[in-house]
Amino acid sequence: MIDLIQNTVDGVMIGSSYGLLALGFTLIFGVMRRLDLAYGPSIMIGGYFGTLLYLHYGAGPFAVAIAVVIGAVIAGIYVERLCFAPMKAGAAIASMVSSFAIWMQLEQAAILVLPRHTYPFPPLATAAPLEFGPFLVRVDHLIMLACALALAAAVHIALYRTRFGLALRAIIGNPVAAHLVGINVRTAVLLAFAGASAVGGAAGFLVLAVDQQVTPMFGMWATLKGLIAMMIGGLGSVPGAVVGGLLLGIVEANSQWYFGPQIRDLVAYVVLFAFLVVRPQGLLGSAPEPAMPPKA
Amino acid sequence: MLDISDLVTAYGKIDALKGVSLQVETGKITCLLGPNGAGKTTLMMTIAGLLHPRRGSIRLAGTELVGLSPARIVGHGIALVPENRLVFPQMSVRENLLAGAYQRNDKSGIDADLQQMYARFPRLNERNEQLAGTLSGGEQQMLAVARALMSRPRVLLMDEPSLGLAPLIVAEIFNIVRELNRDGTTIFLVEQNAHMALQVAHRFLLMEQGRITFKGMPGQLAEDEVIQRAYLGTRRAAG
Repeated sequence: MIDLIQNTVDGVMIGSSYGLLALGFTLIFGVMRRLDLAYGPSIMIGGYFGTLLYLHYGAGPFAVAIAVVIGAVIAGIYVERLCFAPMKAGAAIASMVSSFAIWMQLEQAAILVLPRHTYPFPPLATAAPLEFGPFLVRVDHLIMLACALALAAAVHIALYRTRFGLALRAIIGNPVAAHLVGINVRTAVLLAFAGASAVGGAAGFLVLAVDQQVTPMFGMWATLKGLIAMMIGGLGSVPGAVVGGLLLGIVEANSQWYFGPQIRDLVAYVVLFAFLVVRPQGLLGSAPEPAMPPKA
Repeated sequence: MLDISDLVTAYGKIDALKGVSLQVETGKITCLLGPNGAGKTTLMMTIAGLLHPRRGSIRLAGTELVGLSPARIVGHGIALVPENRLVFPQMSVRENLLAGAYQRNDKSGIDADLQQMYARFPRLNERNEQLAGTLSGGEQQMLAVARALMSRPRVLLMDEPSLGLAPLIVAEIFNIVRELNRDGTTIFLVEQNAHMALQVAHRFLLMEQGRITFKGMPGQLAEDEVIQRAYLGTRRAAG
């Protein structure tokens, strides 16, 4: 029982970063209705910005965090300009395939600049774990959880309490009508991409700082975790992304403890598969509405 | 007010509008009738900037609109109530109305207009916090009209506001059209419901196969003939 609770607490901590990854993914998917496979690799590029700063200038966690976010935003805008802005409505597959190509490109670019497999990353905190009775909580995990919750709340406020959030929700609801009420959809989409990349970059920084290392594979890892958490939580649902991330974290932490690290990822995919079969709209997603294209 | 000349809009190689010229007069209700596939919605989407014409011009009080983005066109004073209403389903009635005023910055003016919409459409007031996707078809149509009005348009375009609504609701919608016009709104209305449209229109146009084939006043053409041509189309040139 104690193990189960300890694993679940650990899972919530780790899962908060998955939720944040899924949140950025959800924003992009919501406004574009397209999958951005280069989402994780953009964050990885941010991670490399961070590690470069750390390696060459010995920058602290705060400066590195800003570098990661800036790097992820630059890469995210690059992906939007290349894979999403030029593609016409209805060319969703073209966007997805080209984002896959950019994924490979970003990965190769990272390997070209820093050819070793792993590079160090500054830790969030080095203090000893806190004890609560029989339970241990890592300090860096606590910081991660706090930052993730604060950022998720910030995204929620931005979406539901600001003019720009109103515009984004309008685009998510009906892009044609968004044009008709005078929203500059192209600009709003670009800004949404940048914002989502910033959220993803923050999530990436937290994960990398806890791991204290970065590899080119981090891009694939971030895309997969974000995608699974988003689909469990419900495509396009902001609270769903957070809940999906937490659930994925809890499932992973427990399956790692009881079955070992090899089985952990397998269990995550099994959970995703079960959701796709039993509840394809995810935990908090609504059943998909048929899109209404403008009639000729 | 709105002056369209020689407008050609194509889907691929097929011209949907084959040189459309028409005028919408200030303070009047102008109604465009025609069968399915005549190009009415294409014309509306082209005016709103969602489709780009191959040639021709659209002038609003002398300002050329062709080539401007849909957002800029809204800024110049065109608002389209689209076919099928296209409300934002996951946003409340109030948020839909605020989205309609997206380009405006005069907070007190927006608040005043909100109250005015609630007075004109009491049902929207009752359902203020309800998600637009849960409204009935008629209520969604009223919301779409009110949302368009929130931008304070100089010309209100309406694309088949009666589509899919019960006869009583259709009568209500046309009453609203008449009221809006009485209060000074210039309206350009696309309809399939020729009978209702002829009752409210000051001027009407017939469109068949991408061309305007008649321009005139209601009464200049027997209603039977209008209805026949509006639903079925003819090959006869007219106008």
